Amino acid sequence: MEDIKAYIETGILELYVLGDISPDEKLQVEAMALKHPAVKAELDAIELSMELYAEENAVEPSENLRGRILGSILTNLGDDRNFNAAPDHEESDFYEEDNIVLLSKPSGNNFYKYAFAASLALLIASTIALVSVYSRLQQSNGQLIALQLQNQHFTNRVNLMDKELSVFRDPSFKLLKLQGTKNHDMAVMVAFSPAKKKVMIDMRNMKLPQNDKDHQYQLWALVGGKPVDLGVFDATADSTHMKEMKSIALADAFAVTLEPKGGSVNPTMDQMMVLGKF
Amino acid sequence: MSKKHKISLTEEELVLSLRNHEKIAIEALYDMYSASLFGVISRIVIDTTTAEDILQETFVKIWHSFSSYSTEKGRLFTWMVNIARNLAIDKIRSKDFKNQNKNQEIENNVTFIDEQKSTVYKPELMGVKDLVEGLKPEQKSIIDLVYFKGYTHVEAADELGIPLGTIKTRLRMGIQQLRKHFN
Repeated sequence: MEDIKAYIETGILELYVLGDISPDEKLQVEAMALKHPAVKAELDAIELSMELYAEENAVEPSENLRGRILGSILTNLGDDRNFNAAPDHEESDFYEEDNIVLLSKPSGNNFYKYAFAASLALLIASTIALVSVYSRLQQSNGQLIALQLQNQHFTNRVNLMDKELSVFRDPSFKLLKLQGTKNHDMAVMVAFSPAKKKVMIDMRNMKLPQNDKDHQYQLWALVGGKPVDLGVFDATADSTHMKEMKSIALADAFAVTLEPKGGSVNPTMDQMMVLGKF
Repeated sequence: MSKKHKISLTEEELVLSLRNHEKIAIEALYDMYSASLFGVISRIVIDTTTAEDILQETFVKIWHSFSSYSTEKGRLFTWMVNIARNLAIDKIRSKDFKNQNKNQEIENNVTFIDEQKSTVYKPELMGVKDLVEGLKPEQKSIIDLVYFKGYTHVEAADELGIPLGTIKTRLRMGIQQLRKHFN
């Protein structure tokens, strides 16, 4: 007990309260205070008296300082609370986070799955539609070409028939029927216009035996007893048009001979098939 | 804020609510202790604006480091006043505070030095003298040097040209006198 009293007498407790003490001494005083109630009581008395002394010497700070200081502390109070509260809720947060991950992830995946499937279906549908449209287009193009050809064919035919008709309508044309010289069944119709210097033979009403591939029929005009070449032609069953031959202004008679292919310079007289005179 | 609106709690209530970071705790703390703390701070740091800054720093530090306070170690005020004193002493010993004072006008310096050396009597200290009867001037000057000026007892011994042992004795005697007075 004497030791304690001596310890108190050193004045170290006063220095402790004033904060004017080394960290080691500080720990020592705290240990002593815990161990000895007398030290603790002495400390309390010193602290209280210093507190009261400070109270006696108090200086009231300006009134607006209260708002400033409390404001600076309390503005962050919400944040501080959140910060302190966070560890307490860690477990439940994890739980919630797990739940969110579990629920949201599959739904996100599903969306992309469906979106992918939808795009794929759309792609297939478009491809099929494209192919079908393309084939129809090709078909239509084919039909169009066929129609155009047909149209051209008809146009050609109409033109040809117009031409044929014009021959018969034209008063300058004279029609001459060449009769078979040997076989009276043979006959060739010739239209001749001296004014237009045109000679045409009617391929439809031609009555001549079909020529072989080495021979061709040749039309001659007899001008003053001399034969003039008017060109060659083939006798085929399906020919229907009026064939225009070489032009000549004057003719007394027309004759057709069978000549080697390409025709001859002079007619082969024994091969004369038909003959007609004006 | 008039006096009647000030919040006051018992020390136990205050400590508990400070631990829970309750809004009312810091308000009560300010109302109960700001004047006492400001009295200490403004005697160490003469400039009022600086003293107000230190008071703010003190309350912020009390608020944020309250978990390091334990009732076993002593009274709440002792813990707080040591925070305030340390912040104030750090301030007057900091480089920019010293530089700031070097730039003071000569006229200002005269009173500043007077104030620093406590050769002028502060009006707010006049009443104290009356109250604290029997406190001898040499005891008071040591208590004031250590408590209000931020001197260590070693520095106070140097300042007053008194042996360390005598300083400690006078400090103890002075505080004994205070205890008698307040009892």
